[in-house]
Amino acid sequence: MEIRKGKYRLENRNLNFDIVDDLNFNNSGGCFYFRGGNGFGKTSFLEKIIIPALKTDNLSYLYIGQDIRTQLYTLRALLSIQGFKVSDTDEVELLRLWIDHSQSASVLILDEFDKYFPDYGFIFDWSDAFIRTYIIVTHREMNCREAVANHHRICNARFELINIDGRLKNIRVRNE
Amino acid sequence: MNNIVILKLGIIFFIIISFFWLFVFGPFYDSIVTQLVVFIVVMGWNVQRFSLTEAITLLKFCLPFVLSLFIFGLIFHFMQLFGRTDWLEDTLIKCLVFPSSLVFLKILLTYITYLDILSLPISMEKRIGLITMKSAFQKGEKILRRFSWYLNTYSDLQSGNRIKSGLQKYACLIIALYLYLYEEIENSNRLLKNKYHHLYEVNK
Repeated sequence: MEIRKGKYRLENRNLNFDIVDDLNFNNSGGCFYFRGGNGFGKTSFLEKIIIPALKTDNLSYLYIGQDIRTQLYTLRALLSIQGFKVSDTDEVELLRLWIDHSQSASVLILDEFDKYFPDYGFIFDWSDAFIRTYIIVTHREMNCREAVANHHRICNARFELINIDGRLKNIRVRNE
Repeated sequence: MNNIVILKLGIIFFIIISFFWLFVFGPFYDSIVTQLVVFIVVMGWNVQRFSLTEAITLLKFCLPFVLSLFIFGLIFHFMQLFGRTDWLEDTLIKCLVFPSSLVFLKILLTYITYLDILSLPISMEKRIGLITMKSAFQKGEKILRRFSWYLNTYSDLQSGNRIKSGLQKYACLIIALYLYLYEEIENSNRLLKNKYHHLYEVNK
């Protein structure tokens, strides 16, 4: 999947994304990191640009949002209609069950997952076998991120969202 | 202050009861034109009080109920079940009455504020109960859109038969909402009681 460079406007969020370089999420396996300050539109970028692009390309993906507590209600509901007993299942086990039964997915997107689980290596352990592309939004320092990715022998590509006019409106997305 | 609040709540409940008496159980129930007008007015009021997006979300939420009602009505009409020939008209009325009464009730209840509840001459325990209910349902309404968004990202609910996956998505939405409200009510209630008892004991 590739997102071509150019300007992308999100009217209702009052955000302009100026993608300076083509964002190439190749399918040969990789871990793509996004970083940027609070309010720069990282989640909007994931939800309004990357996810629609994945849908257009018909790529099966898993998305774990920043408001994971809210999402867990939907996962509990989804797994229960699929016949799993989830009444006493904790959140980690819920995620494991969901990921384990979503092996058709080839892309896994994590939006600040490390906020809830600082050591989130377990996600790679569960999904290494079928996920080829990881897209990760994080605030953590580079060495921590690299440690997680290197541990799982995944190459890195990094993109940075930069506020270019001081009003949190025009965000430049470029290769770090 | 208490009297004004009681009067306000009295008027709100009077309007609700009158609406149901006139349009849901009473004289205007059978008039499809009246029901259509009521539906349009109520939806317009909802858009004006909240937003168009919110109104659309609410209609989407009602759609599966309304659609299944309509399908059954249509089947009964063609079968002429119990010899009746008015199934279609009756179903169309129900398809309008259900969303209008739901939205009407929702709008009216939003006019009851937290301050109104606090001014009611009832025990603190009951006030906490009412505040918890109001807060949970308000949050629940906002969260529906987010739940729906998440459910749209799950490939298990996109593949295969469209009707089947639509119904599965709807079932998930209802279960998620129920779980959310259940937990939210419990947590908010515990939190409010805790705060109240703490403040009460500190003041004492």
